[in-house]
Amino acid sequence: MNDLGILNRREFFNWGIRGIGATAFASLLARDTTARAAALGQATFPNFAPRAKRAIHISLVGGMSHIDSYDYKPGLDKAHGKPLGSSEKPDIFFGQVGLLRRSDFAFKQRGQSGLWLSDMFPNIAEMADEMTVIRSMTTDSANHTPALFFANSGFEFNGFPSVGSWVSYGLGCETESLPAFVVLSDGRGGPNGGASNWTSGFLPSQHQGVELRSGKTPVRDLFPAIEQPKGSDAAARDFLHQLNARHADRSGADAMLSARMRSYELAARMQLSVPEVSDINGEPEHIRNMYGLGEGHTGDAGRRCLLARRLLERGVRFVQIYSGGPIGGSPRASWDAHENVKDNHSTEAGRIDKPIAGLLRDLKQRGMLDDTLVLFTTEFGRTPFAQSGSDKVGPGRDHNKYGFSCWLAGGGVKAGFSYGQTDEIGWKTVENPVHWHDFHATVLHLMGVDHKKLTFYHNGIERRLTNVHGHVAKGIFA
Amino acid sequence: MHLFGFRNSLPGLILAVLGSTAGFSAAAVEFDRDVAPILVGHCLECHNGSDLKGELNLAQLATATKGGKHGPAVVAGNPGESLLWEKVSGDDMPPDQPLGQAEKKVLHDWIAAGAKWGSTDTLDPFQFTTTKRGGYDWWSLQPVKRPDQPAVSQPDWVANPIDAFILDRLDSEKLSPSAPADPRALIRRLYFDLTGLPPSAEQVAAFVANPTDAAYRRVVDNLLSSPHYGERWGRHWLDLARFGESDGFERNNVRNNLWPYRDWVIRALNDDMPYDEFVRMQVAGDVLKPGDPAGQKAVGFLVAGLHNTVVGGSEFMKKTARQDELEEIIGTVGQTFVGLTVNCARCHNHKFDPIQQKEYYQMTSAIAGVFHGERNVSDPELARQREVLRKQVASLGEELAGIENRGREAALAKRKEAGPSDKPEPPKPLARWEFDTGLEDSLGSLHGVAKGDARIEGGALVVDGSDAWVETAPLAAPLKAKTLEAWVQLGTLDQKGGGVIGVQSNDGKFFDSIVFAEREARRWMPGSNGLVRTKSFGSPEENEAHQQPVHVAIVYHEDGTITGYRNGLPHGKPYKTGRHDFSAGSSQVIFGMRHRGGGNNFLNGKIHRAQLYDRALGPDAIAASAGVESTFVSEAELAAALGTEEQARRRALKDQLTDLTGRERALGNGSSMKVYTVAARGNPGTVRLLKRGNAMNEGEVVRPGAVAALRMLKSDFGIKQDASDNDRRRQLAQWLTHPDNPLFSRVLVNRLWHHHFGTGIVETPNDFGFNGGRPSHPELLDWLAAEFTDNGLRLKAMHRLMVTSNAYRQSAAPREDGLAVDADNRLLWRKSPVRLDAESLRDAVLAVSGKLNPKMGGPGFRDVSITPNNGTTYYEPIYPQGDEFNRRTVYRFSPRGGRSAILDTFDCPDPSTTAPRRAVTTTPLQALALLNNHFILSKAGAMADRVASDAKGNLDAQVTQVFRDAFQREPDADELRLAKRLAKEYGLTTLCRSLFNSNEFVILN
Repeated sequence: MNDLGILNRREFFNWGIRGIGATAFASLLARDTTARAAALGQATFPNFAPRAKRAIHISLVGGMSHIDSYDYKPGLDKAHGKPLGSSEKPDIFFGQVGLLRRSDFAFKQRGQSGLWLSDMFPNIAEMADEMTVIRSMTTDSANHTPALFFANSGFEFNGFPSVGSWVSYGLGCETESLPAFVVLSDGRGGPNGGASNWTSGFLPSQHQGVELRSGKTPVRDLFPAIEQPKGSDAAARDFLHQLNARHADRSGADAMLSARMRSYELAARMQLSVPEVSDINGEPEHIRNMYGLGEGHTGDAGRRCLLARRLLERGVRFVQIYSGGPIGGSPRASWDAHENVKDNHSTEAGRIDKPIAGLLRDLKQRGMLDDTLVLFTTEFGRTPFAQSGSDKVGPGRDHNKYGFSCWLAGGGVKAGFSYGQTDEIGWKTVENPVHWHDFHATVLHLMGVDHKKLTFYHNGIERRLTNVHGHVAKGIFA
Repeated sequence: MHLFGFRNSLPGLILAVLGSTAGFSAAAVEFDRDVAPILVGHCLECHNGSDLKGELNLAQLATATKGGKHGPAVVAGNPGESLLWEKVSGDDMPPDQPLGQAEKKVLHDWIAAGAKWGSTDTLDPFQFTTTKRGGYDWWSLQPVKRPDQPAVSQPDWVANPIDAFILDRLDSEKLSPSAPADPRALIRRLYFDLTGLPPSAEQVAAFVANPTDAAYRRVVDNLLSSPHYGERWGRHWLDLARFGESDGFERNNVRNNLWPYRDWVIRALNDDMPYDEFVRMQVAGDVLKPGDPAGQKAVGFLVAGLHNTVVGGSEFMKKTARQDELEEIIGTVGQTFVGLTVNCARCHNHKFDPIQQKEYYQMTSAIAGVFHGERNVSDPELARQREVLRKQVASLGEELAGIENRGREAALAKRKEAGPSDKPEPPKPLARWEFDTGLEDSLGSLHGVAKGDARIEGGALVVDGSDAWVETAPLAAPLKAKTLEAWVQLGTLDQKGGGVIGVQSNDGKFFDSIVFAEREARRWMPGSNGLVRTKSFGSPEENEAHQQPVHVAIVYHEDGTITGYRNGLPHGKPYKTGRHDFSAGSSQVIFGMRHRGGGNNFLNGKIHRAQLYDRALGPDAIAASAGVESTFVSEAELAAALGTEEQARRRALKDQLTDLTGRERALGNGSSMKVYTVAARGNPGTVRLLKRGNAMNEGEVVRPGAVAALRMLKSDFGIKQDASDNDRRRQLAQWLTHPDNPLFSRVLVNRLWHHHFGTGIVETPNDFGFNGGRPSHPELLDWLAAEFTDNGLRLKAMHRLMVTSNAYRQSAAPREDGLAVDADNRLLWRKSPVRLDAESLRDAVLAVSGKLNPKMGGPGFRDVSITPNNGTTYYEPIYPQGDEFNRRTVYRFSPRGGRSAILDTFDCPDPSTTAPRRAVTTTPLQALALLNNHFILSKAGAMADRVASDAKGNLDAQVTQVFRDAFQREPDADELRLAKRLAKEYGLTTLCRSLFNSNEFVILN
C-alpha cells in the first residue's frame, strides 16, 4: 500500500470482499447492486425487467378531496343536500356528518382518452392521456400522521423504512456522487412527522432520504459549518489520505479501513455534484417558465419539480416532493380542507398544478417518461358529505379513509386510464380496492422488484415494505 | 461465508429429531414420524385452532375425516376421494408453497394405507421444530446445563474457560487464534469498551511500559469501578429501552421528565445491581418498592417508547391505539428480557415460535394496568440539585441586574442630556403599569398583585412560564371598545399560548388577551375564550422578541374589528368578529397569563411596561404611543450605554441563566419532582383475546400469564382474571427473572458478549427464536449463563471474565487463513476491529479536545431547537456553545426524529423501537459530517487553542502534543514532517480536524 493514489473500483471490490466488514464495504458500493447482493448473500434485484428505473413521488399532505378532483360522481350531484342515509358511525376525524355536498369543481372529459377530470388542476388535466388514475384507494387510518406514515412506509408508526429507502436498499443508486433517495419539502415547512417520513428505519442509514434544501448548503454538512482557511479542505484531505495509508500499512489491509478512505473520495464528489444539480439558473427560460418558476405562487413547487428532474437525470433513484407543510393552523398550509374545500383546494392546487404539468411535459420531451414513474398520492380522501351539522351542507369535508384517488404516470403504466371505483357518491371503494400495501407492491413491481423478496431481518421478522400483505395491481400495467 | 446465518438454514435439531427415531424404514409410512411433521409444518397454521380456514381442522383424525365446508378431507384408504390429497396433489394447498414430491407421497401412502392416526389424539402445532418453525424442542427453550470445559490443543492459551470453548471450535476448523494485541491497541480497546472514552496518553504510556497480566487486570478493575462504566453500558441498555424523550407520532411532544430513568439505569449499573433485581425494578419497581423514588423511576422502562396522543374520534381508533401501545410495551419486554418476539402473536399464533395468540393476550393482561403518564416523586437528591441551581441562578441574576441597572441609568441620563424631543403627544390611557419598582397602576386604581413566582426585576415584570402571573383590582367601569398595549421581551420564541396583557371576567371564562404562539408558532394573536374572537392576523413570525423588547398592541373596535400593531406599525391583517363587553366589578386585567383556567397558559418573558385604553386607538395614536418616552429603555439604548466587555458579559450571563432556569424548572416545585413513568391503573379489569388482532372482535377472557413453551415455569400466574395491577406485574417480574428461566440468563450474557466482541454468540440478541440466529458456540453460551447465575447475576464479574480472556486480548490484524474460512470472524480467530459508535466518537472528540464536561445526571442538554407548529413538534439540530453542551452524549436530550448529523450518520438509531444491535455503515454523508459539522470544527478549534497555549510557539511540540492527545502515541518522523507542513500552512485546527477524521481515530484495532 505504498501507492497513495486512490484504489480503483475493482481493486477496492476485491480487497473488500475478502476482508471483514463486507457489509460496510457493500453498503458503500450501493451502485453495484449485483456485487452488493452477492456480498450480503441475498436475492438480487431487480427480480424481473423493470418498467421504471426511477421514480418521483409527489405527496399531497392533508388529504386531497377525490370527489372534487379525480373521481367524477354525477350521483353525488343528484344527491346534493340529502343525508348520507346510513346508520353506521363512520371512522372519520371530527365525527360530524353533514348533508351530502356536490363537487365544488366542474368535471369534463379530457384528451383522447376521455378521462373525467375536474378543473381543479387545469394544466395537469391536459396531460390526462399520460396517466392512470386509481379511484379505489383505501387506507387504515383517518388520522393524518399515522395515515401519512402508512402511505410512506406501510405502517402507522414511527420507525419503519419509507418506500424510497426500500427502493434504495433494493436497487441502489446509479450515481455515486448523489444520494439514492432525495426529499424536497414544501417551502412552508416539513410535513407532520417531519424526517420520520423519510427515515430508513431499521435499514442501514445510507438508505435514509436526504433532504435537499435551498440555500448555500443544500445538504447538511456539505461544506464546513465554520469557515476554514482557504485551501485547507484539500490539504486536510491529502494529509488524511497519507495518514490513513500509513495506518493501513501498520495494522493490515482491512475492508473497513479502505471503505472509509473511499467514502472521503465520494464525499468530495458530492461536494461538486450537489451544488451543480441544485443550481437551476442554467436552465433555459422556456423550461423555467414551463415549471412556473417566474410566478409567485408556483415558484416553490416549480423549483422543486425542476430539481427533481435534474436529480433523476443524474442517476438519483427516488425523489419525493411534498405539497403541504404542517397540519393545522390558520390559514391552512396543507390540503386539510375541514373549513372550505373550494378555497383551500383552489389555493393548494394553484401552487402545484403548473409545475407538475411542466414536469410531465419535460420528462416526456426528453424521453424520460418511458422509464420514470411519477406518483401523485395523498394520505386519504375527503368525505362526500359536508363537515357540518347533520341538517347543513357546509363548505368543508372531513377525512375519508374508505375511498380516494391517486394517479401514476410514465414508467410502464397505462395511459389515459382509470382503475377501480368508489360507490355512486364517492364514499367507499367498491371495485378493485387498492390498499397502500397493494400500491407499494405495484410500485416495486414496476421497478422490477418482487415485494415479497425485498426483505430485511429486524427483531424476529423478515420485514417487508408490504408487511404480510400486498397484491400487485397488474391491471394498470401498459 | 455465513457459518451461522439464520436465513434458510435447516436447523441440525430437526435432523437429529428425525434421525433418532427408532425403526426408521424408507418403505412404511408412520404417522408420528412422517405424517405429523407435514401436517404440523404445512397445514395446521390455518387448519387448527379457533379461526379455521374453510372450517377444516386437521389436528384430529375425527375432524379431518368429517372435513370442512367443502367436504371430507381424508377418506381412509382412498386418496382419490380425499379432498386433502386433491388439493395437495394439484398444488392448490398449501397456498404459495406446494409440497415436494416426497412429502406428497407420504400423504398419499398414508391415506391409501388407511389413514391411521398416531400416539396423540390431537396434534399440537408446536410439538416439533420443523423446517418452517420452532417447537417445544427449540434449543433456547431448554434448561441451561453447565457444560464441561473441553480439552484443547493449546492449554497454555486458556486464560479462563471462555478460551477453552473458543479454541475448541477453532481447533475443529483447523484455525489458530491470533497473537496477542500490542499493548497500546489492547489498552485503548479496553478503555473504549468499558467506559466509552479514550485513555489519556499517560495511561497508555504507563501500561505500555509494564504490559503484564497483573497490570492489565488492575486496569480492568479500575475501569469497572469508574462511573464512566455505567454511562457506557447504560447507553447500550437505553438502546434496548428505546429511550426517547418525545412522544413520537403526530404531536411528538417533548417529554421533559424521562431522564430520571436514564440516571437510574446508569446508577444501577455502576452499583452492579444484581441483574434479576435490575429487571424486577424495571417491570414492577413501583409495585415492589412503593414510596421509593427509585421504583417509580425504574419502571420508566415500560413507557420509554412511543405514545400516540392523537387517537382520533372513533371507538375503533381509540381501542386500536391502546392495543398498539400494549403491543409496543409487551414486545419490548419480551425481546429485551427473554429474547422472545411475543408481539408477533397478536393477530395469530406466532408463525415461527411456539407462542400461542392466547399467550400474547395473557401477557398483555399482565401489563393491562400500565399507562403512560407523569407522577410526583419525592426525592431528596432532587431538592439538593435544585438548591444548587437556585444558588447559581441567584448569583448570576444579581450580577446581570447590576450590569443592566447601570446601563439603564446611563441611558436615561443620556436621554435627559439630549433634551426634550419633538415627538407627537402620546394618547392618554385608562391605566398604566411601569413595572419599575412595583405593580401599581400609575394613573388609576388598577393595581396589580403578584401570583406564583411573578416578580419585578431590572425594571420589568418577570414571569417564567409556569404559574407566575399578575392580576389587578376589578375594573371600575365597563369596557366595550378597548386597546391593550405592552412592551415585552420573550424568554424564548419556542413557547406556546402565554398571555402578555389581557382583560378577563374574574373567573377567566371570558377574556381578550395579547397572546403569543397559541395557534401559530411564533406569531402574535388576539386570544379569546374558546378562540371565538380569534383569527390569524396572517402576520410574519416574530423573530426578535427574545433578544429585545418589542411593542405589541391589539385594538378592539366598537364594530368588532380587531387590529394588531407591532413596534407602532400595523401587524398583519385586521379582521371583523364579535365584541365582548367586560363589566365593571367582575372583570380584571391580567399579565403573564392568557386567562384563568387555561392550559399552556403562561408567558415566559419580561413585561417592561403596559397600558390599557377604554377606546379603540387609531394608527397615529399607536405610533405615538410606541415612540413614547418613559423610563422604558430599549435594547439598542441599553447596548449603546454598555461597554463592549459588559455587553459580552451580559450575553454570557443571559445564556447561562436561560439554561439554568430551564433546568431548575424541569426539576419541578416543592419537595417532589415530576417523573415520566407508569401511571398505573390499579384495577385494569379483564382482558380478552382479540380475534385476528382486531380491537372490535373480542374472544375469550384470558388470565394474566406468559408463554407455556418455557415448560419449566408456570405460564399461568395463578391469579384472577381481574387481579390488581400490582399482582399482575409482580407475577410477570417473577416469571421473567425466575432462576429456572433459561432465556433470562442466556439473553443477558449474549448481550454482553455482543458488545465486547462485536457479534453475539447468537447474532440476533433480541430474538432467540426460530427466525433468529443460531449460536456459534452453544456450549460457551450455556457455560456463561450458568456462571452468571452462580455468581449472583452480577454483570461486572461477567465483564471481567470476558475482557480477561485471551480471545478478547487477541490482535485485530487480518489473516489470510482466517478470512478464507470465516470472514465474519464468528469463530474469533482474531479480535474484530471496531468502528466507534456515534456516542463514543462524539465523546472521544470532547475528551481529546479537552472540553469534556464530566458532570453526571440530571436533565439532558438540548442541542436541538424545539418548534411546536400547528400540532406537530419539530426538532432541528443546533450547535449551542458552553460547558453544558460538552457533556457525554448519553446525557443528550433525545427526542424522536431529532438527531444531529454526527449521531445520524454514525448509525445511532432513532429511539422508535428497541435496538439490540446497531448497523455499521460507511457512507459519504458520514465523511461530510465528520469533516464539516459544527461540533467537530468547533472542537478542533478548541483543541488547537489549548495545545497552542500549552506549547507556545514551538510547532514541533504542538504537533507532537496533538498526536499524543488524539492517538495516545508520538508521531513518527514522516508524520511529524507532514503534520508540521499542514499546521504551518493552515493552522493547528486543520491538523486536529484531520486527525478526528482519520481511521486511527475512528476505528479501534
